[in-house]
Amino acid sequence: MTTHLTLGPVLFNWSPEKLKDFYFRIADEAPVHTVFLGEVVCSKRQPFFAPHLPEVAERLTAAGKRVIFSSLALVLTKREVDLVRDLCTMDDVMVEANDLSACAQLIGKPHAIGPFVNIYNEGTRKVFEDQGATHISLAGELSRKSLAALAKDAKADLEVQIFGRQPLAISARCYHARSYGLAKDSCKYVCEKHTDGMDLDTLDGDPFLAVNGLQTLSYTCANLIGELADMQSMGIRHFRLSPQDTDMVEVANLYRSVLDGIAEPQSATEKLDDLVEGMPFANGFYYATEGVKAKGQIEEFGI
Amino acid sequence: MSHSLKGPVAPLSPVLLAGMAIRPLPYGLIQPLFNKAIAQMHQQHPDVFDRLIPLGSPRFLIDPIDLPFSFIMDTRPTAPSLTLLDKQEDERTQNIQASIRGPLLLLIELLEGRIDGDALFFSRDLVVEGDTEAVLGLRNAVDGADINVHTDLLHIFGPLARPVDGAAQLAGRLFNRFSKDLNTLSKATLAPLQRKCDAQAASLAEMEDTITALKKQLRRRSGKSA
Amino acid sequence: MRTEKLELVCPAGTPAALRAAVDAGADTIYCGFRDATNARNFPGLNFSREEMGEGINYAKRHEAHVLVALNTYPEAGNPEPWHQAVLDAADLGAHALIMADVGLLDFASKHRPDTRRHLSVQASASNPDAIAYYQDRFDIKRVVLPRVLTVPEIAKLNAQINVETEVFVFGGLCVMAEGRCSLSSYATGQSPNMNGVCSPASHVRYEDKGNKLVSKLGEFTINQFRQSEAAGYPTLCKGRFVTQDKPSYLFEDPTSLNAAEFLPDLMDAGVTALKIEGRQRGKAYIAQVVAAFRKAADAAARGEPVPPLGLETITEGQRETTGAYNKRWQ
Repeated sequence: MTTHLTLGPVLFNWSPEKLKDFYFRIADEAPVHTVFLGEVVCSKRQPFFAPHLPEVAERLTAAGKRVIFSSLALVLTKREVDLVRDLCTMDDVMVEANDLSACAQLIGKPHAIGPFVNIYNEGTRKVFEDQGATHISLAGELSRKSLAALAKDAKADLEVQIFGRQPLAISARCYHARSYGLAKDSCKYVCEKHTDGMDLDTLDGDPFLAVNGLQTLSYTCANLIGELADMQSMGIRHFRLSPQDTDMVEVANLYRSVLDGIAEPQSATEKLDDLVEGMPFANGFYYATEGVKAKGQIEEFGI
Repeated sequence: MSHSLKGPVAPLSPVLLAGMAIRPLPYGLIQPLFNKAIAQMHQQHPDVFDRLIPLGSPRFLIDPIDLPFSFIMDTRPTAPSLTLLDKQEDERTQNIQASIRGPLLLLIELLEGRIDGDALFFSRDLVVEGDTEAVLGLRNAVDGADINVHTDLLHIFGPLARPVDGAAQLAGRLFNRFSKDLNTLSKATLAPLQRKCDAQAASLAEMEDTITALKKQLRRRSGKSA
Repeated sequence: MRTEKLELVCPAGTPAALRAAVDAGADTIYCGFRDATNARNFPGLNFSREEMGEGINYAKRHEAHVLVALNTYPEAGNPEPWHQAVLDAADLGAHALIMADVGLLDFASKHRPDTRRHLSVQASASNPDAIAYYQDRFDIKRVVLPRVLTVPEIAKLNAQINVETEVFVFGGLCVMAEGRCSLSSYATGQSPNMNGVCSPASHVRYEDKGNKLVSKLGEFTINQFRQSEAAGYPTLCKGRFVTQDKPSYLFEDPTSLNAAEFLPDLMDAGVTALKIEGRQRGKAYIAQVVAAFRKAADAAARGEPVPPLGLETITEGQRETTGAYNKRWQ
């Protein structure tokens, strides 16, 4: 059975130059099948990379990658509504909807649905499939049991995030700005200082979460390397790598080699551990327990 | 295990003194009253016990810290019971899911649903141990019924209810007054001890800060995003 | 379009609370069944089928409506409890069903088309295109708006949609987009979306360290209180955490929403109904809050200034906030 690695949208506020270099290298070197492009977290960041998108998309397509444009996760203002409408009415591009406003525009044409749209059960999956969804990236909170039930009889391709900090929440309020004593309207884009998110610790010094502007992520890095075979047996064939500020080409190579049976999950995890500089791994959601926990193959790399 | 190590310390209060006074009474005399009380509650408010079924009908230790005895409350809807337990006995043999400790008057407020679910945890005077969920369940179940300890419990005394009620109200007024006096007395007695405790707490806090700082340094990541 | 008289929508976690809310002047009560089908699946709370039927009848006798919240996301492979809850709530005479899940809305619109459908705040539909989607597909009659919109934004939204809007005016405040938050399940394995609980009591612990009281959720310290400080429940997003070496209430201060002062503005903005949060609160709390808001809503309907509510004592020493209704909140 053919399996595909996909590269999720960059969730952090990287500079346009950094993003360009990143995607050009992905185009040339990374064994990924699909690349999701676009700003998902904060509409204030969107204007900076937008002018470079056509060039980057072209380069990725020329390198044989499928490009899908991701829409905003939280759509509140008129400007944000218009951004989503414009994206969804573009011809000949595939769009990933991360809010119902995008789903509404995309009815009747093939499209993708991102992890910020709630699809928790087969009834909901079917409604979206009937509206034209052909690719569904599932929420990180789902357990093995739920994934198996969702994969049964699915018409759309299902995708699960296997690497990267786990998105946990989004808010109208900007916590990065708040941490710097700034208002959202005059945030000075302080989120650009933390290319992997800003650490949030408990009062007794334990690492807990990571802040990325309006978004809150896990401190831990998802790693479902030991569950790849299990998910394939359910019929899930697309696996998302969510970009962190590390060598993502090497990350993709490691997962690819495990999928191809060339490397063992254990040895690949040791190399991944070096790549993320000791950021603890987690896969608890998969086992229907605390998301922060690390079970099975990655247990000794947990928090 | 001495009960003085667990939960809040009994405030020097009229309840504490009254408890010491009834201590010599054999449990055989008091227990039947509580049997009657729980039977009454079961009859009048069966839904309280129904609401606890999804939580596995827990057994609670209810510890009025100003009395010399505690209660074991078993919430099985078929055979609920409220059993007196001498504080000298080992609670660990009692197979309880959760315990609630606090001054008697506060526990009565809890039983009557006058303490809010969210507020249950705010008060330092109530200490909940074990299965927090079971305790919240009990509070919610009790709130769903209209329990009034004042009238429901006095029912047990039958025709004597009215004079008892009158006596209770008079006692209540005296009680409040007495309570204030005792509070002043206990503060004066405990002041030197309190100063010593404060000094120890300060040095403990300092040590904790050091540990927190060390944890941060020990983190394996090179601190790229920290 | 200006609203003439605001509908007061009040919470009830038990039949006693339902009666208290009706007696205190609620127009509408919302409640849920005693299982994971609703987002306040707290121990000892909620209604059996029989209690729901009695509650609906009690409300009807007093010319009030009952809304049944079925606002969690059905578990994959196990939709039956949610489907049954839709059928039962409708057959018991619920005025409307409050739902968030697209699949469940689909089921309800097919199997009980005549029972009104309201879109739960858990769907976090915050823009006209999303709301229009739910109206076109599932004929929803009302949307409960996320607690992230300012009053002018609500007015603009109402001008672009033609379903009723219901907004929160009092009680606990979610700071994250509702229905899109898995902070609780990250720390405890249980989430609002799947289990109907946030920061569940089963994972709460208090540790008395002598000089301070530590509140924990799962493995994590959520807050610490000095002896003189009032301790709080460790709701994850109301905790004190450290970023940039500074401890702070980064997500939200431990505040409680009170938007009473905005009632006239909300009428101008075309809002249909006011919602009070707190199905987990006691009946005494509910009676007091509902009575205060009844007075306030009636005063606003007469064009009079909103009287002081006198609810400071029941917000548990927490400060009050007007939340996102005020733009500075963001």
